[in-house]
This record gives sequence, C-alpha cells and structure tokens, in this order.
Amino acid sequence: MVNLSVQIGSLTLKNPVIAASGTFGFGREMKQWNDLSELGAISSKGLTLNPRLGNDPPRVAETTGGLLNSVGLQNPGLQIFIETELPFMKTLGTTIIANIAGHSLEENVAMAEQLDATDLDGIELNLSCPNVSKGCMAFGSSAPMIEEVVRAVRAKTHKPLWVKLTPNVTSIAEMAIAAEAAGADAVSLINTLLGLAIDRKTRRPILRNSTGGLSGPAVKPVALRMVWDVYRAVQIPIIGMGGIMNGEDGIEFMLAGATAIQIGTANLIKPTACHDVITEMEWIAQSENMAQISQYTGLLQPW
Amino acid sequence: MQQIEWDCTILENQTLNDQFFILTLQGEAISQTAQPGQFVNVSCQQFLRRPFGIMAVDRTAGTFQIGIQVKGKGTMEFKDLRAGTVVSVLGPLGHGFDLAGYRRVITVGGGTGVFPLYFVQEHCRAAGVETVAVCGYRSTQDAILVDEFRHVASKAVFASDSGGMDVEGHAAMALDKVLEDLGPAEGTVVLTCGPKIMMQAVAERAARAGLPCQVSLEERMGCGIGICLVCVCKIKEQETGAISHQRCCVEGPVFPAEAVVW
Repeated sequence: MVNLSVQIGSLTLKNPVIAASGTFGFGREMKQWNDLSELGAISSKGLTLNPRLGNDPPRVAETTGGLLNSVGLQNPGLQIFIETELPFMKTLGTTIIANIAGHSLEENVAMAEQLDATDLDGIELNLSCPNVSKGCMAFGSSAPMIEEVVRAVRAKTHKPLWVKLTPNVTSIAEMAIAAEAAGADAVSLINTLLGLAIDRKTRRPILRNSTGGLSGPAVKPVALRMVWDVYRAVQIPIIGMGGIMNGEDGIEFMLAGATAIQIGTANLIKPTACHDVITEMEWIAQSENMAQISQYTGLLQPW
Repeated sequence: MQQIEWDCTILENQTLNDQFFILTLQGEAISQTAQPGQFVNVSCQQFLRRPFGIMAVDRTAGTFQIGIQVKGKGTMEFKDLRAGTVVSVLGPLGHGFDLAGYRRVITVGGGTGVFPLYFVQEHCRAAGVETVAVCGYRSTQDAILVDEFRHVASKAVFASDSGGMDVEGHAAMALDKVLEDLGPAEGTVVLTCGPKIMMQAVAERAARAGLPCQVSLEERMGCGIGICLVCVCKIKEQETGAISHQRCCVEGPVFPAEAVVW
C-alpha cells in the first residue's frame, strides 16, 4: 500500500491529484459519473466579485496535441459561489479550493476577505488568466505586482493561499520567488500559454477573442521545465500542471519538483481522467516500491 | 452514479454520397435512453472528441446511428472507419426537443441538420403524432435521406437551392408552402436544425404563424459534458430580458426559438 497523501503547507490532501480550475466547473456535472471524494482536491471555476458573461464564441480552437480556449472567466460571481456552489462543493468529501481572478488588487482582496469567513479549505489566487483584458495575467507578469497583490490578499485571509502563475513571462522562477516572499503557501503552475489559431480560408483567428490559452499535452515539456525552474528557486510547495494525461505524466511532474498536480484539459476528453491518474500513479509508486507518493517530489536527477 | 463513457463497436459505415455517411454503432445504454435532439461526443485521433446528433435508435437491437458530413480532419477519419472498430462515446448528451403534448410536429432541416430531425420523425411516428418533414439541400446531388423522410413522415417536402425538387429555394421557403397548405392547427410545433441563417428564417416564419419553435444550435465544442464552458450561445431570459451565455452541450443544443439571440 502506497501512502498517497501529500502536504501543501497546513493542508493535507488525500492524494496529489487536484481537478484544475476551469475544467471541472463546481463539480456538479462530474459528480454525476464520478465519486469526487476520491480526489485530492477540486479547484473551482475562476471567480470574480461580480458575475461575468465571458467572451463571445467561438471560445475553443483545437491545435496539435491540445487546444486554445478563450472562455474569459464566465462565472456566476462570488456571492452565488458562496451561497450556492460552495455549500454544494463542501458535501463532496474532498478539499475545496476557490480560484479567484479579480481584475484589480482591490477585487482580489475583497474576495479573499469574504471567502475567509466561509468553510472553504483554501484559495488559489489566479494571477494568470490570459483571456481577460484587465488584471490576472497583467499582474502575473510583473514580480513587484505579484508581491503587492499577494501581500494584500495574504493580509486578509488565514486560508491556505496558493498563487497560480502564468508561463507567459521571461522567468517564472522570479514570479514564484515574489509570491513566496509575499506569504503564499504554495504556487501552482502553469496556466495556459498565450496562442493564436488561424482559419486560413477566412483569414480570421478561429477564436472570437483572437488569442487564447494553449493547454493539453502540447504544453507539457514547457510546464515540466517551469516546475523544475521554480522548484530550484523557492521553498514553498509547487502544484504542477500542464498537459497531464496519465499517471506517468503526473509522476514526471512530481520528479520535477511538484508536491501535487492538477488535471485540466484531460477532463474535457475523458470524464474519469482525474480518477484514472490517481490509480495509475498509485500503481507506478507500488511497482517502484515507494512507501509514500510524496517521496517522488524533486527526485529528478539532472545530468 | 451514471456511466457516461461507452466503448461502442461500429457495425456499419454507410456512404450516402461523397460528403455524407451514416455510422451504426452498438450501444445498449445510449439506444435505450437517447431522446430526439440529443447528441454523442465521439473520440478520434484528433485531440478533442467530435459531437454528432443522434439520427436514430433501435432499442431492440441496442444500436444507434449518427449521420456525419466530412468537414475536417476528424470527420474525414470517421469516413474511413470500418465495421468492427471500437470508438469511445460519451452520451447521450444535452437537452433535446420537447415534444410532449404536441399533436403535429413540423421539422425543418438543412445540411447535417436533417439527421437529428430524422430521430424526431421516427419518435413521433411511433407515438402516433402527425409529422411534416421539410428538408433543404443545396442541390439534388446533396439530397440525403429523401426516401427515408418520405417514408417516415406524414408529409414530406423537399427544397433545393438549385431546383429540381418540390420547392426551388431554401428550407424556410418550403416551410411557407407547408404552412399555407396545412392551415392553422392547435398543438403544432416547428423544430429546426441546420445552418444558423436557415434556422433564424424558420424561427421568424414560425413566429409569424403564431407557432412555437425550437431550434437546435451548434457552436465549437470542447467537452460536451458542461465543464469547459466553450460551446456557449447567447440566450435571452424571457421574464427579465437578461442575456446569458448558456452551454449548447447541457442547456442545449435545443432552445426555444424566442430565447435565442441571433
């Protein structure tokens, strides 16, 4: 028997597999055909203070080994989350994380303050959505701004605070260092890579928003490299993600330095993806005689 | 907990013409529970699954059919699939047509839109409901399922942009003729599926005739199960007039025509 639990700051997850924000809603759909209590955690759809309609469609473009999306943070707003979605999520028997993506420092602070009064397990501060014009990635691509926002949010909440980083920067390690300095309990990476898909015949971008965020197996090598970079730069735990499709991918992220992992795009094509990854990671750990899955973190042996 | 993902064996791949073909798949659960207007999301070698409206079910044999038009890499792959191949299928998915209580059902389809409407026709025929099928094609060469619709519907009218069929022009023009011939009747509903511009024209005509109308919308889709929020369409709430983005794959693909923001 492999001990699958992992520790992220003060939070103990029953296993390292977390459903990634924006690919799992609030769990309502997935609950129909999965036992969600078996997951390590669920990170909610990205939230803003007020409801957001999101971008106009088309919002998705298939690419080689992945897809571009430009949903643009469509969500019901924080109040409905707190009143309706969070109570439902808390019945699922797993760790519940709220992903917040305010357009300003003040909005993020206000959300963190309101969430602090709930029975939520943790906050993932999304400084990395590429599909909105204000906030998010605009904060996340400047280390001083990350530090300012994270410090302000940290001051208003006792909840475990994860900071989700964008890969659309020169040095993601610098961004992680800033988040750590400002009091983040963990960093999660990577969000999507900004991309463009073109319809050659109409000579237009396929996405109505023109650009979108690339995800899926196409980004995995980039994500692994970034997790490894960040692992060597900070002490706080890393939640790694980017194109994880199976247990082997998950173990690779842990070898690169991740304490836990998130499954995102895989959920869209395989409704049981998270569960499959847990089973496969356990099987790999068992076959390699690892007593604890957490032992994999950072085991990568560089040349 | 329900099961949503099924391994389905292809039993037959029937070519209709150079563009259109019909796959018959083994799928007990899907065939038992699928309702007209619902769809399945089928895996292929491309990254995302491909959504197709269900064209027919055979509940005794435990099989269902989907009609496909070659449009890109994914659909091209399906065209070459042979009997015996197993594909992963999610379904049945989505909110189909609301048929309860109607005494006469008029379906208006164009392009691949005729496939899910064929399911409506078969369903209504079995339930003893009077049906009229209106199908629009670009040309007589593109005219698919003509004999099938003639057989299944109480009355069938075919339109072709380039002439040579019952009506020269598009499907909505054929609907004009049908409405004129039929005259008003209580309990009539118009159901449409096809190109957006055609559905809008159909919805306008239905509204003018005072008939309820349901439209089956399409948008570039990701998961098909409601989690990714990419396949949204603009829907107007009747009471408040507020516009929201609703998912084609869960709240849709079928919406009341009056709620659609064209």
